[in-house]
Amino acid sequence: MSDAFVLESAEAIGRSVLSRERSAGDVARTFLDRMDRTAEQLRTYLHRDREQTLAMASAVDARIARGERLTPLAGVPVALKDNLCTRCVPTTCGSKILEGYLPPYDAHVVERLREAGAVFTGKTNCDEFAMGSSTENSAYFPTKNPWDLERVPGGSSGGSAASVAAGEAPLALGSDTGGSVRQPAAFCGVFGLKPTYGAVSRYGLVAFASSLDQIGPIARTARDTALLYNVICGRDERDMTSRAEAAAVPLEDLERGVSGLRLGIPRDLIGEGVDPEILASLDRVAKALAKKGAEILDVSLPHARYSIATYYLIAPAEASSNLARYDGVRYGFRAKTDDLQAMYAVTRGRGFGREVRRRILLGTYALSAGYYDAYYLRAMKVRTLIRRDFEQALTRADAILLPTTPTPPFKIGEKVDDPLAMYLNDIFSVPASLAGVPALSFPAGMTKANLPIGLQLVGRPFEEATLLRVARTWESENADAARVPRLLSERRS
Amino acid sequence: MSATGPATESTAGAGARQDRYETVVGLEVHAQLRTESKIFCGCSTKFGARPNTQVCPVCLGLPGVLPVLNERAVRFAVMTGLAVGAKVAERSVFARKNYFYPDLPKGYQISQYDRPLCTGGGIDIRSGGGWKRIGLVRIHLEEDAGKSLHPEGREGVTTTRVDLNRSGVPLIEIVSEPDIRSGTEAYDYLIRLKQILMYLDVCDGNMEEGSLRCDANVSVRLKGQAAFGTKAEIKNMNSFRNVERAIAFETDRQIRIVESGGRVAQETLLWNADKGIAETMRSKEEAHDYRYFPEPDLLTLDLDPAWVEAVRSELPELPHQIRDRLTRDFGIPEYDAEVLTETRSLATYYEEVARRSGNPKLASNWIMTEVNGIRNKEGQSIEEFPIRPDRLGDLIKMIATERISGKIGKQVFEMMLTRPEGPDELVKAHGLLPIDDEGSLRALAREVIAANPGPAAEVRAGKERTFAFLVGQAMKQSRGRAHPEKIQEALRKELGAG
Amino acid sequence: MPIDAKVVHDVAALSRLQVDPSEEARLVKELASILSYVEQLQALDVSGIEPTSQVGSGSKPPLREDRVKPSDVRDEALAQAPDRDGDYFRVPRVV
Repeated sequence: MSDAFVLESAEAIGRSVLSRERSAGDVARTFLDRMDRTAEQLRTYLHRDREQTLAMASAVDARIARGERLTPLAGVPVALKDNLCTRCVPTTCGSKILEGYLPPYDAHVVERLREAGAVFTGKTNCDEFAMGSSTENSAYFPTKNPWDLERVPGGSSGGSAASVAAGEAPLALGSDTGGSVRQPAAFCGVFGLKPTYGAVSRYGLVAFASSLDQIGPIARTARDTALLYNVICGRDERDMTSRAEAAAVPLEDLERGVSGLRLGIPRDLIGEGVDPEILASLDRVAKALAKKGAEILDVSLPHARYSIATYYLIAPAEASSNLARYDGVRYGFRAKTDDLQAMYAVTRGRGFGREVRRRILLGTYALSAGYYDAYYLRAMKVRTLIRRDFEQALTRADAILLPTTPTPPFKIGEKVDDPLAMYLNDIFSVPASLAGVPALSFPAGMTKANLPIGLQLVGRPFEEATLLRVARTWESENADAARVPRLLSERRS
Repeated sequence: MSATGPATESTAGAGARQDRYETVVGLEVHAQLRTESKIFCGCSTKFGARPNTQVCPVCLGLPGVLPVLNERAVRFAVMTGLAVGAKVAERSVFARKNYFYPDLPKGYQISQYDRPLCTGGGIDIRSGGGWKRIGLVRIHLEEDAGKSLHPEGREGVTTTRVDLNRSGVPLIEIVSEPDIRSGTEAYDYLIRLKQILMYLDVCDGNMEEGSLRCDANVSVRLKGQAAFGTKAEIKNMNSFRNVERAIAFETDRQIRIVESGGRVAQETLLWNADKGIAETMRSKEEAHDYRYFPEPDLLTLDLDPAWVEAVRSELPELPHQIRDRLTRDFGIPEYDAEVLTETRSLATYYEEVARRSGNPKLASNWIMTEVNGIRNKEGQSIEEFPIRPDRLGDLIKMIATERISGKIGKQVFEMMLTRPEGPDELVKAHGLLPIDDEGSLRALAREVIAANPGPAAEVRAGKERTFAFLVGQAMKQSRGRAHPEKIQEALRKELGAG
Repeated sequence: MPIDAKVVHDVAALSRLQVDPSEEARLVKELASILSYVEQLQALDVSGIEPTSQVGSGSKPPLREDRVKPSDVRDEALAQAPDRDGDYFRVPRVV
């Protein structure tokens, strides 16, 4: 069977399943076959189970046959980052410490997707416990960027972004703590949305930094991004930080254009060290949107340059506590020793990889007696300043436009021995995480070396619709949704 | 019941030098709240279930779960705060207390740290002849850990077993100011605190099941000295009496150290009830660094003042309020009121008996001596006591109105313990009605005189002391039923007539 | 606030993380570099600024009603245990 339709939008695939033009089973088989050809070179998945995927698809077909009313995601394959709990399906977070772990429950977003009739392709690779920007911190193997196999796909949701970019699944879920959905989306040339903090229930998302973590959709079009967001957003009584204000985005709203919208560019943040091709893309997009009626203005985020320092105190502090539960007592890896303290230390010392250990140590230090005020407390105060910056900027502007990353995808191994350099790559994505506001990375062209460029839109709380609408306006005239990495399209045929 | 006993053995025995010192004690009490479900998940809190059956992803600390705060746990904690006059914070904050222990599933306990739910307030205890207020520092909400079963004393056992049924059961921690000056005061404080919790029905007060737990911070200083001495923390005291004993022991130990020129070490001690000593558990150097920080998975706890006022208005009457009311409305002594308000249900029982009998003081006497006598012997709660207040009230009314004597009353009371009938029926059925009509009394008098010709003659001859003997015989003959004054009258008449 | 091998050792003990002696020097260097980077926060005036520990917007959800909701995960969860003794999780003896 031809797999040409794998590059169709999720919207189109879902529509064809609902109209019984194709069966969910056929769709699943086509994607699975494609994955068999691409997975080996991209290494996007930590866990795939063909039979399980096909069983889910045939269950969807049965529901359609019974006349059940399903959502536009009926029969649409969705890839899940491996830090989302799936009942009886391995969930490792890319860590050895959870090797073989089978959660006894589904994450909220997984439940929602099951009800909606989505079909899971598998669990995608990620940096261990979502800590990283390249997927090289996976305890299992690194994932490759489909546009250049020598480069990283970004991270931590690198498997999800690469899988969508390569046409292995039209949709994927990732999680974003300081940019882990947006940065890989930018590196892989797809859309990635970090919703407002509280817009999507974190129940069943394995925690990295609880005050920052959000689950977000990854897709190849703005409309598909909205489609997936609409299924997962909204209040869940199992997560006290989830909010009723999070509402589905009507797809027709995405087509309303940008006339009258004010878009602010934080020139003070976009300073030195940004790749000129990315800056050129920013100008190009701003001009195009201005032509469509948007008003482009300068906004200031004076404290955003302190974001990385703030983030790398707050996130590790929370992580050091969140990861204390991996102690070898109830689940996961346990080192064999006769002494309890040794069991803890060896289990955790061997079970966690380098970056995770580094962050646990850093976070423990930042919280420990004598250092709390100077580090953690101070960081929380600077977070207040950063949040206020956004509040003020977003009274002047309806959305903020800036790059997602300072550079295009870097080479595998390039930054792996310099954690600080790796961290600094997050400078444009971390501020919105600290402020808890929604942010969307959208594909904004390619570099001369044919590497994707991602730009980012940041908005007011629960105004995801505005971001998607702006990105849709740009996409409708400039992007080629069916665009896939050349080396993969060459391999097809 | 109130505990104003003598100083404990060890302090009393240690001589005059001891009198130069005073003990400074602060208590930390953990009370399990009587909610149906756990504080952050829907698992049952019932005690005694099969191990690891009342567990779910949340209280097992599985990856990806989140806590959701139980409304009733908050309400119970607020009720407790209001009952002890604490200030309830409009905003309080949950914090993570980080440490590793096999029965602590998440590697942290969700508790409250720098912004607790309640601050201030106090509990009045007996001290000397009067009252003394023990101030409270704070009351905060937290979750319980699971249970580790250690193989105590079993040779060759190298493992510990963990049951997480208790993990996530709601607790309040009540921290007192260092206002307590002896083990005895500590005991009275605990009794009164437990009484308040039980009146509020927020805790079942069961120490054996761990529903109430207490740690003590103890230091000594010379009397008149303002600065505190170095304190030791004592844990593992599983009864109020053990708290009292442990404080006495520790006071003694610290005074000895200071007297011999030594310095008290800041350490944590474990009370060994069998040996009657406190043993070092860990020193200050080994103290934990709990790395508290605000719990990001829970929102700040913001309470609407109107809601707090509504909770206040629904508070049940508290022991001291009932005590005051009983002394005021019923005119009974404060001591009686205190005994009768030991539990809410005893107070209710008393009030009903007092009203029904029409004689509150007599009702109080009967309950304190007869009812409590039986209950203490049988180990019964007032709910289990077989004579319900209506029947007891009727009985006391019969005594109070002199329908029967107190002596007959006791006979009837004994019968009522095993029989369902009311006192009136029992009195009638068993011929226990008093003899108070002129004819019967005169007949009884004649019988007594006839049976005791000698004493009768003595009385007639003017030996008044023997008259009492004849009255006694008449009472005996009638099995106490003869009206005590009227029988005298009858005897006089018959003696005179003879 | 200098960081040295002793600090790394102490923090590792607090975190229950075994640190291989061979990686200690590298960790000291990495942590020192990160901590020296975050020193920039010391330059900011944060007096009078409330700390942000959470970024939720919108209306607060209600608290949970106190109702028992039994869970069906017990057997699956216990099956994950690295070591068990019947109904119990089992660990090396707590000394």
